[in-house]
Amino acid sequence: MVLTFYVAAVIAVICTALMITRLKAVHALLYLVVSFLALATVFYTLGAPYVAVLEVIVYAGAIMVLFVFVMMMLNIGDRAIQIERAWLDPKAWIGPGILAAILLAELAYILVAPAGSPGIVPEVGPKEVGIALFGPYLLGVELVSMLLLAGIVGAYHLGWNAPGEVESLYAMESSRQRAVVSGDFVRAGVDRPTDTP
Amino acid sequence: MNSTDLLALLPLLLIAATAILVMLAIAVRRSHLASALLTVLGLCAAFGTLFIAAPLVPRDVTPLLTIDSGALFYIGLILAASIAVVFLCYGYFKQEEEHRPEELYLLIAIAALGSGVLVCARHFASLFLGLEILSVALYGLISYERTTKASIEVGLKYLVLAAASASFLIFGIAIVYFEFGTMDFGGILPDSPAGAVDSATIAVGVTLIVVGIGFKLGLVPFHMWTPDVYEGAPAPVAAFVSTVSKGAMFALLIRFFDRSGMRGDSSLVLVFSIIAIASMFAGNLLALLQDNVKRILAYSSIAHLGYLIVAFEAGGAIGRSAVAFYLVAYFATMLGAFGVVTVLSRPGNDLGDLSGYRGLFWRRPVLASVFTVMLLSLASIPLTAGFLGEFYLVAAGVSGSLWALVIILVVTSAIGLFYYLRIVVALYSRTAQPAGAWPSRINSHSLSWTLGVLTAAVILIGCYPSPVMRLIQTMVAGSG
Repeated sequence: MVLTFYVAAVIAVICTALMITRLKAVHALLYLVVSFLALATVFYTLGAPYVAVLEVIVYAGAIMVLFVFVMMMLNIGDRAIQIERAWLDPKAWIGPGILAAILLAELAYILVAPAGSPGIVPEVGPKEVGIALFGPYLLGVELVSMLLLAGIVGAYHLGWNAPGEVESLYAMESSRQRAVVSGDFVRAGVDRPTDTP
Repeated sequence: MNSTDLLALLPLLLIAATAILVMLAIAVRRSHLASALLTVLGLCAAFGTLFIAAPLVPRDVTPLLTIDSGALFYIGLILAASIAVVFLCYGYFKQEEEHRPEELYLLIAIAALGSGVLVCARHFASLFLGLEILSVALYGLISYERTTKASIEVGLKYLVLAAASASFLIFGIAIVYFEFGTMDFGGILPDSPAGAVDSATIAVGVTLIVVGIGFKLGLVPFHMWTPDVYEGAPAPVAAFVSTVSKGAMFALLIRFFDRSGMRGDSSLVLVFSIIAIASMFAGNLLALLQDNVKRILAYSSIAHLGYLIVAFEAGGAIGRSAVAFYLVAYFATMLGAFGVVTVLSRPGNDLGDLSGYRGLFWRRPVLASVFTVMLLSLASIPLTAGFLGEFYLVAAGVSGSLWALVIILVVTSAIGLFYYLRIVVALYSRTAQPAGAWPSRINSHSLSWTLGVLTAAVILIGCYPSPVMRLIQTMVAGSG
């Protein structure tokens, strides 16, 4: 069990380092997913299976899908499809793929290992987590809700566009203009010749 | 939690309720006046409940918070400052309502809640939650004028640096937890179980925590964000950052080191001495080089936090009452100084340049006099609150025999006198600006009343400090 912890921890560090050094956002996302999975494994080996599952469901699942979705939404048009195809070049898959495969092997090892193999620390299940959260740390849960409210209100205010601004943005004919004004995340289609008659 | 706990917690509950109510009011109908009024009423109600909570303290509410007389005192200070900031914001944003100022008050209420949690914290979880609530609300507040580039830039700068410092803090917390197995401040006792804990690991952990706290306080060498944020943020928000956010963090610093057994740690005393000396020197010397009033105030706040560390190191009842008194004086003075800047500024176009203040006295004598009082208080000239505050700091330092620190405090505040007087000289210089340079009269009663009250407070505390001092002595006796 100690070895599995170290392997997963090293993978998490490598993935995070590679993630912040990637030039293309989609490639960074691939490493980020693996990094989340590695973290989940770390949590599992530390005796927190419930947190591990949450990590996979919430981070590697919901939040990552949201990221990918937004990123793909920003790119509409034929040229964007070509760009996306270039992004998902097999070469980009190899790194995250190998690291994920190691994690999978680790998972298989944990599953087939004899049932009585001792963990590093005693296990903490969902029931204990729930009792702690809604017992002594109840105020903490309430405070987190205020934290999220502050985040949502701040993001709403900063992201809000006056109705006029949005209309003028979409009234623009060419995606070149749009890219210049709104600064799209990826300026796909900017140089499409058909746009400039 | 029983009903008495809830009563003791009432001030914090009402601040949170204010935020929710303002949010609902905005959802029903957008009105700048209604948002501001609702916030002020809510915060005033929270202030009133301090007197309900006062007979019930000291009291530990869940493992996370402790409400004692010190916590109530600082919550009161935070609430008073937040109310002043709300008034300043109302006058400031009334000039141009295209920034949709309603959410500003919601964020101020949430930031006040985060600060309130910080001053009550007795557990790393509540420390971190309070800090993050404060920080996240401040991100929104600092870049509130989202159409101007400068405010987005400083918002981003603050976001990145605050997130980095929070990660230092949480790593330090993890290390300390690893050593002691508890997140309660009271469980951190490096001396008691001899040989059971590794002192090197604790030193690393506590140092990382000090980095996180030092960033929020804007102490050298973690001060880089301060001048930029003060310059780019709207003037009333800069006032909030320099008072509420720093004051709450300082109260937390005192509680953390008093409750845990770290106070006597000699290497930590050395670290804080170095930080204090660096802050006093860097703050005052760098302020000499500035030509922007907001940046001068930023460096001055760095230096003032350095002075505060002297009293913090002295410790004991006298150190704690010196810190409390100094914070009261500092809050009133800083709010007043930024209040004057607020009066002369418009959203998206703050008057920072020193040359813009030239000859203010000859056109706006009252405003220039108010600014003079605030600057003299910052420079600790007698008959102002700042002077007595510094007097108590020196007394605390002498009682703790911190001679080197006290001498540096006196020397650096003499250096500081120079740049405050530079602004004063500019205010009274004969080369007046053209007639349209400043608004001809204060455009809102909220601004003039706030400035009036703050000026009265600074002079009154400076001439007749005994009521405030009595309050502080009861507070220190109750929390001792």
